[in-house]
Amino acid sequence: MSDGQIAVSGLTKRYKNLLAVDGLSFTVQSGRVTGFLGPNGAGKTTTLRMLLNLVTPTAGTATIGGSRYADLTDPVRTVGAVLEASAAHRGRTGRNHLRVLCAAAGLPDQRADEVLELVGLTPAAKRKFKGYSLGMRQRLGIAAAMLGDPKVLILDEPANGLDPEGIRWMRGFLQGLAKQGRTVLVSSHLLSEMELLADDIVIIAAGKLVRQGPVGEVLASMSTSAHVRVRTPQAEALTTALAGIPGTAVTPRADGTLLITGVEAPAVGKAALAAGVELHELTPERPDLEGVFLELTAGKAGIR
Amino acid sequence: MRLVKAEFRKLLTTNTWWLFALGAVVTWAATFALNALFAHFTLTQAPPTDMSPEDAANLAAVSDQVYQAANLYTSGQFCGLLFVVVLGILMVTNEFHHQTATATFLATPHRTSVISAKLGVASIIGVLFWLITTALDIPATMIFFQTENMSSHLGDSSVQRAILLNGLAYLLWGIFGVGIGVLMRSQIAATVTAVLAYVLGTAIVGFLFTLLSQSLDQPWIKDVQYALPSIASGLMVAGTDLPDQPSYWVGGVILVAWAVVTGAIGTLITRTRDIS
Repeated sequence: MSDGQIAVSGLTKRYKNLLAVDGLSFTVQSGRVTGFLGPNGAGKTTTLRMLLNLVTPTAGTATIGGSRYADLTDPVRTVGAVLEASAAHRGRTGRNHLRVLCAAAGLPDQRADEVLELVGLTPAAKRKFKGYSLGMRQRLGIAAAMLGDPKVLILDEPANGLDPEGIRWMRGFLQGLAKQGRTVLVSSHLLSEMELLADDIVIIAAGKLVRQGPVGEVLASMSTSAHVRVRTPQAEALTTALAGIPGTAVTPRADGTLLITGVEAPAVGKAALAAGVELHELTPERPDLEGVFLELTAGKAGIR
Repeated sequence: MRLVKAEFRKLLTTNTWWLFALGAVVTWAATFALNALFAHFTLTQAPPTDMSPEDAANLAAVSDQVYQAANLYTSGQFCGLLFVVVLGILMVTNEFHHQTATATFLATPHRTSVISAKLGVASIIGVLFWLITTALDIPATMIFFQTENMSSHLGDSSVQRAILLNGLAYLLWGIFGVGIGVLMRSQIAATVTAVLAYVLGTAIVGFLFTLLSQSLDQPWIKDVQYALPSIASGLMVAGTDLPDQPSYWVGGVILVAWAVVTGAIGTLITRTRDIS
């Protein structure tokens, strides 16, 4: 399952008076969960749809395992995609919805029952789609994506409408798929969720790539905003000791700790030791993904 | 073949198909009763004497048993075609209305194949509707002629022609429906437009064209109405030619042209359309 790499290169989509995706390039590796992040309207859905041959790019290419989606010999067995939660006929049962797709893809009908079991939807198999909750619709979408046992999974905002239990299930499910060596690309604007779920992230804003890489590296690349939390009974003495290090700022916090920016934790500890200041806590604080994300996408508002 | 199977499955896994079939049977019963009543009077009553020569010539043609037989054997066409065309429209617009187009085109990125399958299934459905109404028409008409003490005319070549061409009309309207559905993605807009065009196209437009042709004294204007698919399909199944109408095959040619044009345009549009 090594040929499931997704490669997007110079991808551009121009609508009448909107540049939805603007020369976007990134790659997604197999065996990892990749989070595709961006504020609403950043062009995430358009990018995924171009990747799946549903929307025609104005320029650039998007390939899966080296082929365009339209050129895949067996698309359902190669790529599974979940794009809208409410994507079945209201009057059709979940099982029949899947059986229609089985027929179209030339898969045996029993796959419908197998994937229903996989997503835990067997009890609702013969219920009509209009009676499904949002969470059940998401599971049916995932079931449909898994019909061909594909090596690449593409999901657009799969956590939307899921309750905490559903989100936890989804996280485990997707991470399990990545462990099997599959490629998993998940778009989201739920940053905290991506921090828990993703190995790599691709951040876009206003149709352009902002940052891509492993979650840790992207966070580390924001070291300029690294800060240290300190708890000490001798706040004033520490502030004085740190004044000697250029670029350092000390801000008292409401909970009695000090927020120190512009300096790494070892330097703070060293200064405190030299000045004989007693420390009760010394914690380097990495900005969380949300902070990074807001920083990176600030000023590139979603509504364009 | 996979796609044809998938399209049939789509159709058979919701309630639409049997509701439409039921509707076709019920409206068939009503139109057959009306046609039988009309046939009874025109075939048995003496024609009134105070008519213009043109009307008299028309009435003479209508009073012909073969004409009435063709009309009876193709009873239910007016509403049957309506059900078939709407079913064709729904086969396409449902995909957009319920956002299943995404799943459909993910399973089959070759959109031409998907639309071809829809065109094929819609025409098969059309033929099935024709089979149902014809299976009802034949015994019912034979009983009618028997009670009138007349020949069944089933062996008559122009009656057989009318019955077979009626099948062609059903098939072409199925194709036509898919074409309209692709051109107008909004389910409500497509259905309302088709139904209005069909009903008005048959009743009012025919009248309007005749009126226009008379008031402008341009006889050719009246013939333009036969370019409309609904009037063309009625013309195609006429058992005998009426004196002031084009020949039956003109209707057939026009209808085939409509089906080919809407089917082809629909396929071309779908190939390049963004699905979002």
